Amino acid sequence: MNDDLIYLDYAASTPIDPRVAEYLLDCRHTLFANPSSNHIAGRESRAGIAHAASQLSALLNVDPRTLIWTSGATESDNLGIAGGARYRAHRGKHLVTMPTEHKAVTDVFRMLEKQGFEVTWLEPDENGYLDPATFAAALRADTQLASIMYVNNETGVIQDIEAIGSVCREHDVLFHVDAAQAVGKIPIDLRALPVDLLSLTGHKFYGPKGIGALYLADRPGCHVEPILFGGGQQRQIRPGTLPADLICGLGLAAEIAASSIDSDLRHLVELRDTLWAGIRDIAGVLVNGDLEGGFPGILNVSVDNVEGESLLLELEPICVATGSACNSQSQEPSYVLRALGRSDLLAQSAIRFSLGRPTRREDVEIAARRYREAVARLRDLAPGAAA
Amino acid sequence: MSSDPYSPVVRDYFSKAPHAGDLADAVTVEIAEQGVRLRLAATEEDGRIRALRFRAWGCPHVIAACECFCVEYEGRPVQSFSGFQASDIMRILSVPVEKTGRILVLEDAVRSLGRVLCSDSAPQ
Repeated sequence: MNDDLIYLDYAASTPIDPRVAEYLLDCRHTLFANPSSNHIAGRESRAGIAHAASQLSALLNVDPRTLIWTSGATESDNLGIAGGARYRAHRGKHLVTMPTEHKAVTDVFRMLEKQGFEVTWLEPDENGYLDPATFAAALRADTQLASIMYVNNETGVIQDIEAIGSVCREHDVLFHVDAAQAVGKIPIDLRALPVDLLSLTGHKFYGPKGIGALYLADRPGCHVEPILFGGGQQRQIRPGTLPADLICGLGLAAEIAASSIDSDLRHLVELRDTLWAGIRDIAGVLVNGDLEGGFPGILNVSVDNVEGESLLLELEPICVATGSACNSQSQEPSYVLRALGRSDLLAQSAIRFSLGRPTRREDVEIAARRYREAVARLRDLAPGAAA
Repeated sequence: MSSDPYSPVVRDYFSKAPHAGDLADAVTVEIAEQGVRLRLAATEEDGRIRALRFRAWGCPHVIAACECFCVEYEGRPVQSFSGFQASDIMRILSVPVEKTGRILVLEDAVRSLGRVLCSDSAPQ
């Protein structure tokens, strides 16, 4: 990687923790056997996976048997939402979500709409929050599943999962939470939270890519139909040979996160505040989301009279995102920011700075200075600039 | 095949853009289309373009295209503007085809500038 670059795109992906990388490599050599095999080597792979499940379950405060391994958050979202909706389809076909969810959620709901389900799309307020009362009002007698993300991947807004989940429990609605941006970053206690299904992925909290999990609560009526077929693994909910090395890597990443989550959050608050202090007085700059209640690892800002793609290039070698990284090949303004009421031009100028454990104070100070310089230069280039 | 969406020429023109700015006593045209805003300024001497400047609000390809136009057309006859083709700039800069509309805005501006210059220099 280029030595000059400053990586501020941790919401898109985190580098693997060196301890996790070392452990994963070791497991790749020692736990190569198929964990479904009953010989000694297979049992060793199974034991490694069981240990990882205990590490992840400790982070989430759940029973390890409630965890289904997947290839990542996208698959977990697909399995939780499509599998949950289909499992409960005989009771009703009304579903609830928000347009500000990740594509891995919204596209599943759009697919279900084509298959005969009816979806209510709840709009956020101007800061990105969903009012639990608004959510409650949207539920109907035939509502069977709702999906609301924990931490928004573009804005860092944290939804009131406890209040929304409580409404779901009152109405016996399956509640799925896309927690890809939350697990390992903010404390989550699933014994206390009324959540039925929760998606996570390893590479968002310094674990390996290609491995994730779906939490499936152990309570009556909470189940999913499989979306993959071809084996009996994982109680036939998600068949396929389990990658013991990746799972072990995710397990260690979870253990490390559990021990560092408080210090990580303090670090991120300090960095975010430093970054914002360095740019807040730029004329026309505004925060997309909520500084007070949002996840401190994400600072999403728009600025008027600046073109977003040019801003991104002008900021190089600082690695940041415009809108969702998963959608960054598109030049369309972020649908999440449009849902918050931002104009096309403001949404198109949005830059998401996302900070992580390895980010240094000098990194954000440089980023703030470069952002100021970039905005000033592009405004000076534009027609109407003072001669 | 490079994964970089910007050619080295685009990066160079975008980052330096020495022709960005204004000219005193210049003929100017301003145009806003396709999410792009451009202002071109030109001074002319004896039927030739003495100096060109631009201001632009747009993506890096648009800014680089404006700079490229200024580099290529300073010193040319005023009449040469009528033959300006967006496709020539797109080839020089390796502009992706989906941005054709934005570069056509520059073509409109250049031709408009050429018409104004020609009418200004026509015998009274």
